[in-house]
Amino acid sequence: MEMQKNTQEEIVIRHLGVTFKDNAGNDVSAVENVSLNINKGEFISLLGPSGCGKTTLLRCVADLQEPTDGEVRIEGMTPKEVRLQHKFGFVFQQPVLFDWRTVRKNVELPLEMMYQSKKQRYEQADKMLEMVGLKDFANHYPRQLSGGMQQRVNIARALGIRPDILLMDEPFSALDEFTKEKLHLDLLRIWRETNKTVLFVTHNIQEAVFLSDRVCVLSPHPGRLSAIIDIDLERPRTLQMKETAHFNELVSEVRNSFEGGSV
Amino acid sequence: MKKLAQKKSFQTIFWIILVIAVWEIFASIVEQTQRMPDNIMPHLWQIAAAAVSTDKVSGGMTATQVVLTSASATLLRALGGFLIGAAVGFVLALLMQMSGIVEKMIFPYLMLIQLIPVIGMAPIILAITKDINQSRLIIAAILSFYPVATNTLAGFKSVEKEKYDLMYTYAASRRQIYTKVIIPTTIPYMFTGLKIAAPMAITASILVDTLQGDGGLGCMLSQALRHAMNIYVFWLIVFFSAFIGVFSTYLIGWIEKLVSPSERALLFAKHSSKKKLKPDKNRSHFSMRPRKLAVYHETDAM
Repeated sequence: MEMQKNTQEEIVIRHLGVTFKDNAGNDVSAVENVSLNINKGEFISLLGPSGCGKTTLLRCVADLQEPTDGEVRIEGMTPKEVRLQHKFGFVFQQPVLFDWRTVRKNVELPLEMMYQSKKQRYEQADKMLEMVGLKDFANHYPRQLSGGMQQRVNIARALGIRPDILLMDEPFSALDEFTKEKLHLDLLRIWRETNKTVLFVTHNIQEAVFLSDRVCVLSPHPGRLSAIIDIDLERPRTLQMKETAHFNELVSEVRNSFEGGSV
Repeated sequence: MKKLAQKKSFQTIFWIILVIAVWEIFASIVEQTQRMPDNIMPHLWQIAAAAVSTDKVSGGMTATQVVLTSASATLLRALGGFLIGAAVGFVLALLMQMSGIVEKMIFPYLMLIQLIPVIGMAPIILAITKDINQSRLIIAAILSFYPVATNTLAGFKSVEKEKYDLMYTYAASRRQIYTKVIIPTTIPYMFTGLKIAAPMAITASILVDTLQGDGGLGCMLSQALRHAMNIYVFWLIVFFSAFIGVFSTYLIGWIEKLVSPSERALLFAKHSSKKKLKPDKNRSHFSMRPRKLAVYHETDAM
């Protein structure tokens, strides 16, 4: 595969399994035997229907969830070690903003945890807000912003700590189609500018194909990796690509790779 | 007319006039039919006249002087008890938040204290402390702490799971989680508790007064009612305590606006939405302005 050239493995997931106990005390397997290597600077999507364990998998990488089997290593370190070094930027499905803080203060919040000086925080927040196009809204409060703008603040906040890895849990699923397309292009631009490794969870096939280098298809009950599909669309991606035959071929390939045919 | 009816000041005036009118109608009926109308429902102007009258009603003091002197004795203890109760309530909520065991042990029984009528509890407290001032303080504190504790706890519980997850990914310390997330989220809830507690503390303090004959609003109230003093002292105290009760809630709402971060954010947002947000909508800004696909390109910003 041509993917292997000039690449370096950053995240290694080996035989990962997560089992929950349900109310009756029975074991329910959410993720089963998932192995995946993610290269530095790669844009990877975890795609699947709800209940396929894609979010659980993401949470294992972020150290928000303890795996019952297997392990996750990030450049040889455990997720916990990486988390304590502030190397993760996590973007949740909801903006999770603090209503009483201005946009700027929201972006500064994680920097406060890192005991950065006031000046450092201010400059960093400025830079991040510029990057997501919200510089003029720095002194607004989250409630004054639209859903798309709030999600931009969420992304700016995650990028503010200069993470190596950006973990995104269905960040655009609550947004309308127009806003979503804009944010896709912005995300790709930011990704190119900053060289982050992105792990992107979604249930939207087009979104996964449009954004990613590789799409990891997960099947439910229990969640397992059923296919990994290379997306060889050239970069930078443009919205026109969505209308090409090749894009649609890739979308069908992804759709057909779900176990039991199309979903 | 519709616009006028929606104005808050108009609504307030409307209700005041309505209450005065209803009161006066009934006062007139009482005047015609009852033997001692002053005891049941005097005219409002009679009460107003009593308030400004210079006649000495007790110990060389006018009616208003009597009310104000006894009010200071009662209200200072009510305030003290309220502050103690609020502090205890907050600490209790914090303990319940930090330890599930404490919550399970305390919370179901907290309400029991609230269910004991003050009128029964007050003589017991007085018998134990043998001091009316201490009793006022304790009873006011007992009544205040419950609404503060439950509302504050509800505030602690209202913090979304995602916020904890977010702080966890940033490796935030326990102290940071409390100071930056939990406490700011809880403040509006705590103030709701305080607004309920304040008039309760005042009522409790007045009630305790009635147990002993040495001053305080409640004491003067029962004396006036038994005609040991001018009956208008009774009416003045009724109106005065009603006013103080309502005022206490408003005062706390006002303090909340000063100290609560979310209230301040809301205030600022309202303020700036008039001045700033409107022009923003017309200003060209890429997150607000629709663009042609060809122009809006990933390589644009590079």
